[in-house]
Amino acid sequence: MHAISKIIARHADRKGVEVGEIVNVVPDYVMLNDRGAARAADLLRQMGGDKVFNPSQVVVVFDHHYPPIRQQDSVSQKKTRAWIELQGISKFHAGEGIGHVIFPEKGYAFPGALIFGTDSHTVTNSALGCVATGMGHSDIASYLALGYNWLKVPEVIRFDLHGDFRPRVYAKDIALRIAQLYGEDAAPYLGVEFAGPLVARMPMSERLVLCNMVIDFGAKTGYIQPDEITERWVTQRAPDRKWIAETTDSDKDYGRIVDLNVSEIEPLVAIPHDLSTVRAAADLGDVRIDEAIFGTCTGGRIDDFRVAAAIMKGRKLAPHTRMMINPGSRETYLQAMHEGLIDIMVEAGATIGVPGCGPCSGCHQGMLAPGENAITNASRNFKGRFGSPEASAYVASSATVAASAIAGRIVSPAGVNVH
Amino acid sequence: MHIKGKTWVFGRNVNTDLIFPKVWFRPTYEPGEMASHLMVGIDEDFPRKVGRGDVIVGGQNFGCGSSREEAAAAMKEAGVAAVVAPSFGRLFTRNAINVGLPVVTSLRIDEEIQQGDEIEIDLAGGTIRNLRSGYEARLPPMASESLNLIEDGGIANYTRRVLEQRRRVQV
Repeated sequence: MHAISKIIARHADRKGVEVGEIVNVVPDYVMLNDRGAARAADLLRQMGGDKVFNPSQVVVVFDHHYPPIRQQDSVSQKKTRAWIELQGISKFHAGEGIGHVIFPEKGYAFPGALIFGTDSHTVTNSALGCVATGMGHSDIASYLALGYNWLKVPEVIRFDLHGDFRPRVYAKDIALRIAQLYGEDAAPYLGVEFAGPLVARMPMSERLVLCNMVIDFGAKTGYIQPDEITERWVTQRAPDRKWIAETTDSDKDYGRIVDLNVSEIEPLVAIPHDLSTVRAAADLGDVRIDEAIFGTCTGGRIDDFRVAAAIMKGRKLAPHTRMMINPGSRETYLQAMHEGLIDIMVEAGATIGVPGCGPCSGCHQGMLAPGENAITNASRNFKGRFGSPEASAYVASSATVAASAIAGRIVSPAGVNVH
Repeated sequence: MHIKGKTWVFGRNVNTDLIFPKVWFRPTYEPGEMASHLMVGIDEDFPRKVGRGDVIVGGQNFGCGSSREEAAAAMKEAGVAAVVAPSFGRLFTRNAINVGLPVVTSLRIDEEIQQGDEIEIDLAGGTIRNLRSGYEARLPPMASESLNLIEDGGIANYTRRVLEQRRRVQV
């Protein structure tokens, strides 16, 4: 059995499960964001449920529409606050950042866990060697009522990453390379494991980026085998947590194993309007950038700020370019302030917003006008994602976004000198 | 379960941002509201054109992207009888099953159907047929758990039933 199957089996109270089988599982934690909590609470009532089955498993995070910018959202958030109090849900985070950034930070994600969330990027957590997957609002409402929900045991594809990073190449570029080679449906319904010598050396921040992006290849969950890096991360953040790292029995437990030589990858950009149309940043020619959108559950962690600030230090944004930064979490925001990174980015001309999803939620500050171009370290460049459907979004690494914001057009960060 | 309807054909990698754009998100929806925004990211007039009993045909990876139940719920509300594609985004599949919208996978089906063709689907028998061209294909078997959920009218009905059983046991 693959470790993913073992994790699902344990949460289904079964000795073993087969790939393709549908089983009822009890997750360790379920994340409801502001939208999810409002919709699921409503649907729970419509399903005839008055009580949340296990409120201690539920974590509510306001990240998409926080602080509210429309009155309907403030009304809905007021209702949700009353609802979580009534239901005895005590794990509540408003304005503390994006669910998928704070889950690993606060120790809700840990090796061997099973996590559901009302958002597709819930898969991010799987970097810690757990199974984490997004669900719809009715799905989560049903879980709230019953305390379990169904899951199909996925086949697993493994990407073995070897070689070395070229200068200013990151996990994000690897993800874009996979989208380029194998498409946006590289892994439909599958588990995606990342392994190999390069992953063994990768810090948790980069592992989280890889696993964050698996949903954009169609996957159900990511997976990285827990090691010392994982153990150190969890011990620092949740010292009392008891966890079990499952292991995979053999190479026969994979549907497919793919070798990827990272040494061949250069800084990449997904061009409008889908993730699988990918070009080298250096070859894009003259793409004028009106806005750089920095943050999100893909690119809003402290290492992203370190990389970007190093490039932006002592420089100014191009006169025609604006930059919207939303830290992924309060912890990231504080750390970036302590290290002086926020100073560097604000001095360069960037605007700092609230820890949260920012413009990637589709209705926060930084919406694009028709005809405008944005470059972002988010995960998606879908039409209309950041405002007007007539705007264009380019997806790249934090380094490429920072370098392009300074240049005012898309450039490769590889040649940028750091002061 | 037998479905017969007129088709609307869409392309590859149609994501849920296109099926139900975020600008129309609301914490609660009035009856008919979700349906009034269906597919407006691709065709603003689609909500007025689509009729009850029609079938949506997509290309590869239909419904990829965000975990947006509104995408499937809007189709259900508009009276769409089924959605057919060579492959689907996982979350879209799940959401469709949960709202009781038949989600039918059939290889290369997008190449076999032109907009407006009438098609017939027999979910239990596992066949799909283009009534204009005569094209016919077997459908891969659907997990009985999923088929039961669709026939039940979705996960809300299932949940309601289990809750009632639990209450009866307690009494």
